[in-house]
Amino acid sequence: MANIVRTVQVPLATRVLESNDVIAAGNRAVLTKLGILAVDLIGAPGSGKTALLEATLRALSGGPRAAGMVGDLATRRDGDRLARWCDQVVQISTGQGCHLEAQEVHDALGQMDLTPVDYLFIENVGNLICPVGFDLGQAVKVGLFSLTEGDDKAAKHPYLVEAADLILLNKIDLLPHVSFDRTGFVADVRQINPKVPVLDVSATTGEGLERWLAWLVERASAVRGASVG
Amino acid sequence: MHELSIAEAIEAQARLHAPPGGRIRSVEIRVGALRGLERTSLEMCWQAVTQESPLAGSELVVEMLPWQIDCPSCGRSWTSPVPFVTCSCGEERPNPTASDELDLISMTVEEEGED
Repeated sequence: MANIVRTVQVPLATRVLESNDVIAAGNRAVLTKLGILAVDLIGAPGSGKTALLEATLRALSGGPRAAGMVGDLATRRDGDRLARWCDQVVQISTGQGCHLEAQEVHDALGQMDLTPVDYLFIENVGNLICPVGFDLGQAVKVGLFSLTEGDDKAAKHPYLVEAADLILLNKIDLLPHVSFDRTGFVADVRQINPKVPVLDVSATTGEGLERWLAWLVERASAVRGASVG
Repeated sequence: MHELSIAEAIEAQARLHAPPGGRIRSVEIRVGALRGLERTSLEMCWQAVTQESPLAGSELVVEMLPWQIDCPSCGRSWTSPVPFVTCSCGEERPNPTASDELDLISMTVEEEGED
């Protein structure tokens, strides 16, 4: 009998990010049980993610009720900024990583006292592409765009637009000063995701923040309802 | 790079599911258009991440699923590698939809056996 080499195709049918998804599901179960609204905030570098969260925490009178996680390749600057407005902030240094993963959020949750928390804001690494595909266990995904990035960014990043529960258009106070076709931007969003709400905001002037806060309050009460039910 | 972390995840997942013994010739994956992954970048990253692994020398076979375009004006549907296209009927904004599938479909393995 001679040895032969056979080529066989082994069917797998498994998700590439299965390990991440399993950890994310665990995070989601913990957060939902505690009635915490976890927000995954995704936007480009310089779009105003930290500024928006500062304004949001200030308006929510953060304190013990809100907590933050910030993913950055380096420095703790954003974490330090948020720590002025809420009691618990974990800065996650991703090193070479261009996005947060569920394991990092899991580890950060382990460093927090979640009992008093109603809102958990997760500021993802500044990037419109990679963070979208990695489930963290969040309740909602918010896509943040800004006027200074240009009006073509929604069209160029369809995955974020499709996956987002809400689109925020920041720096709206600059509309008279920059060339930005707001109608075209919204039409691009609508073409990819006909249902997602688009809210104009300015983290600097506070314009539009009340609608963003009302959206958060509504989503938080839905999460609390799910935890009781 | 976007594709690098995905290539690492494919490598880890493929090793997890690799049958004992046998040499892996190729790993077949399917990617939905929403993922925004580039085939050539993925293939390049695959070579880099498998260099020191049991999957060294294997090929990554990528099936890209296209965008589905539906024209609300003339009712026609077709597929496209890009989401924003105009329809020949004149409609400037047909509806693009795509999946975010990122699945490991199969592995092709060389096994030694007896005749």
